[in-house]
Amino acid sequence: MTLARRHFDALIIGAGGAGLNAALQLANANLRVAVVSKVFPTRSHTVAAQGGVNAALANVQPDNWHWHMFDTVKGSDYLGDQDAIEFMCREAIPTVYELEHNGVPFSRLDNGRIYQRAFGGQSQNFGGAQAARTCAAADRTGHAILHTLYQQNIRARTHFFDEYFAIDLISDDEGAILGALILEMETGEPLLIESKTTLLATGGCGQVFRTTSNAHINTGDGMAMALRAGVPLMDMEFFQFHPTGIAGKGMLITEGVRGEGGYLVNKDGERFMERYAPNAKDLASRDVVSRAIVTEVKEGRGVGPNADHVLLKVDHLGEDIVSKRLPGIRESSKIFAGIDPVVEPIPVFPTAHYVMGGIPTDRYGRVVAPIQKGPEEVVPGLYAAGECACVSVHGANRLGGNSLLDILVFGRAAGQDIIKYLDENPNHRPMSEAGVEKAVARLNRWDKRGEGLSVREVRDEFRKVMEDHAGVFRTDEIMSEGVAKVKEIRAKLADVRLTDHSSVFNTARVEALELENMVDIGMSIVLSALERKESRGAHSRPDYPERDDNNWLKHSLYTLEGDQMDFKPVHTKPLTVEPFPPKPRVY
Amino acid sequence: MKFSIFRFNPDTDTTPRMQEYEVEVSRGMMLRDALMEIKRQDESFSFRHSCGEGVCGSDGVNANGRNVLGCITQVADLKEPIVVRPMPGRPVIRDLVVDMSQFYQQYRAVKPYLIRKDSLPEQEILQSPEQRDKLDGLYECIMCGCCSTSCPSFWWNPDKFHGPQALLQAWRFLADSRDQATDERLDALEGPYKLFRCHTIMNCVDVCPKNLNPTKAIGHIKELMLKHAI
Amino acid sequence: MSRQASGLRAWVLQRISAAYIGLYIIYATGHFIINPPQSHADWKAWVADPLVAFALSLFFALLLVHAWVGIRDVLIDYVKPIMARVALLTLFGLGFLGCGLWAAKVIFLAAMPS
Repeated sequence: MTLARRHFDALIIGAGGAGLNAALQLANANLRVAVVSKVFPTRSHTVAAQGGVNAALANVQPDNWHWHMFDTVKGSDYLGDQDAIEFMCREAIPTVYELEHNGVPFSRLDNGRIYQRAFGGQSQNFGGAQAARTCAAADRTGHAILHTLYQQNIRARTHFFDEYFAIDLISDDEGAILGALILEMETGEPLLIESKTTLLATGGCGQVFRTTSNAHINTGDGMAMALRAGVPLMDMEFFQFHPTGIAGKGMLITEGVRGEGGYLVNKDGERFMERYAPNAKDLASRDVVSRAIVTEVKEGRGVGPNADHVLLKVDHLGEDIVSKRLPGIRESSKIFAGIDPVVEPIPVFPTAHYVMGGIPTDRYGRVVAPIQKGPEEVVPGLYAAGECACVSVHGANRLGGNSLLDILVFGRAAGQDIIKYLDENPNHRPMSEAGVEKAVARLNRWDKRGEGLSVREVRDEFRKVMEDHAGVFRTDEIMSEGVAKVKEIRAKLADVRLTDHSSVFNTARVEALELENMVDIGMSIVLSALERKESRGAHSRPDYPERDDNNWLKHSLYTLEGDQMDFKPVHTKPLTVEPFPPKPRVY
Repeated sequence: MKFSIFRFNPDTDTTPRMQEYEVEVSRGMMLRDALMEIKRQDESFSFRHSCGEGVCGSDGVNANGRNVLGCITQVADLKEPIVVRPMPGRPVIRDLVVDMSQFYQQYRAVKPYLIRKDSLPEQEILQSPEQRDKLDGLYECIMCGCCSTSCPSFWWNPDKFHGPQALLQAWRFLADSRDQATDERLDALEGPYKLFRCHTIMNCVDVCPKNLNPTKAIGHIKELMLKHAI
Repeated sequence: MSRQASGLRAWVLQRISAAYIGLYIIYATGHFIINPPQSHADWKAWVADPLVAFALSLFFALLLVHAWVGIRDVLIDYVKPIMARVALLTLFGLGFLGCGLWAAKVIFLAAMPS
């Protein structure tokens, strides 16, 4: 069988906010750009982002990007790279205006400007009063942004490969990335995309946990492809648990609910966040609130027949505010929790939400890895942006409203840098046929027939292990056991067989490929977490309860080959302003 | 609970068939959960789904004769046996997966993007809350296709009639105070097909899982067209 | 036929004709209940009133326009082969034209002083 081949200047894998914003830059520059997505672009998980995107527009309260930068550095528990954070917070302002010009239907203030709401971890004047920095389109900001970006890409005539699953990157002996092998789901035929540059924008990997706010598609495909191409994953121990998922289900209730004045109570009706974060209270950083909720439940102050959740009170806001500013939340609560938040409080519990770590990149979206000379050598032709990447602007904990910002700013930056790269590297590198064969073999492996384990049972077991061993609180014992169990599961993968070998829209095969991806990522999470012997941001170790800047103010790097852990320094020096030195983090 | 599911795999089947499944229903179970459970029993069963909370629009299916979004449809609200078929009027690729290309073509055809002719300000284009309110009930569309695939006019003319989804989006941009292509948009909708195949049957309004009202939007377009013609 | 004539104008004509037809039917029904013609001569005398003749002619004209737009919609929806559709459209068009001429003849003869 001959493999069909297509040629492009740029290949973008993933059609969420990062991928589409990068594609838009490239298509506007009249380059041949292919966007490959395993779902139709507007189904990408950016669509589910609710609260908004941070930018110091100062439409509601005094604000400037430097305060935003401070909050982000502090929120990251000082693990974020301050040069990248400065870049992001400065770029936030033109980025949001550009979105607005592209048509995003932001909510408005009476003076016609973009509506901004308060979100957790935001302050004026470097830790002062609460700021209102999150630009919102009601509580459907991600939906509004994703659809707008897709629409603009229609205008720019971007080439879309919808419902194509990326199997693997193709690299040559020098480690340069030459494109990717993808699978057309409708026909089951593989297709080779040869491309001068490849951008991974595949989003998060929340599906590694059993209870998650993430969609079925968030299986970390891009991260796993990078791992297999020899690129390490950075800071994977930092996984954010969003404090307010609908209890037992995981659907997200935006932080915007607390931004609009909602607050958490335990079974005694106590507003317990006052004890954990006397100043910011319910708008403390997400890691702080999640730990508080888990602690409340652990100490027996949970609500419900099993005392396994707390309540988010909204009813005091009145029907007007709720239906105007939080219509989607009201709808979700009615559908999934069977309650109307205007009348009753919403039952909530932390849910696996966002991975701060990912494929290491610089602030131009170029993937950087320790190859020979230093920890940050550029991998030729490979870019990453969005949740699958780690710039790192979120460090150990991401602030609400910074993820939409991250995908937009760095999607755009990657697009711009690809334009420059193509200017200097106008030709395709020769295709590595050995690389192609390796990728084809990964696909063909699933043609094996016979008795074996099912994808379903291994996946269920894996996700349970991750939930039990890489949750909000982590000890040496729990983690070590987790590592052993994930290793066991990884060994089992060889015995997994499909019963369905048909070609047309075979979702079982896609799920099998996704499972392989997830297990590799799971390993990076548990190993990195076991390795980091301190508590920082979302990574909380009761056996090492303090942050340890002397030994652990560094990024971790997990490499697939030999399950190796390595480290590299944090960029503590911003681009133009004075650094923010680590300080105790209180809210 | 008994489920009767439309099955067709072009690799192995010559004709579609209905297959029975038994699913143990738990409290608050959504149709998508049930379909996932069926997929656990039988991995050869294919359907699209993703977010599980009604925002990505992947899992539009026809349950007991009505187009619904699987992830926000309570199994308990459906009569047993639950008959699940692909959304009607579209070519079936496999099982519940249908070919939505024409639906997406029609969406593209209405130029679903903001067109601005004036030079752009350094900051945001101003828009009053009242002007912004006009977009409510329009921009929330998730493109699940429940409306267009339940519209008889779209069944008969999917190549020429834009269908309720695309027309809702056409109005979303006509209604946006920032858009400056009203005349071109209205001109493009002229003729017997693109807009005027709507016979106000209102199946779209009936099934929209986001409670949007394409028929009303189509009415607004016609009114605006008339105003411009006079 | 221009795109506007086949789109907006057809739609507007359908609406306007529907409104007139509706109103006229109410008027005519009322008239025939309150003041039913006792004989053909009576009826002729009623039609001879130029205002009545005009309104009645307009009623038939708009009824046929309405029917034309409606049947055209049905044929556009259901009859795909272009030759068959043109043939049917011509058939209905001629039929409607015939009906119109016949109605015109009846009204004209009735309204003529005998």
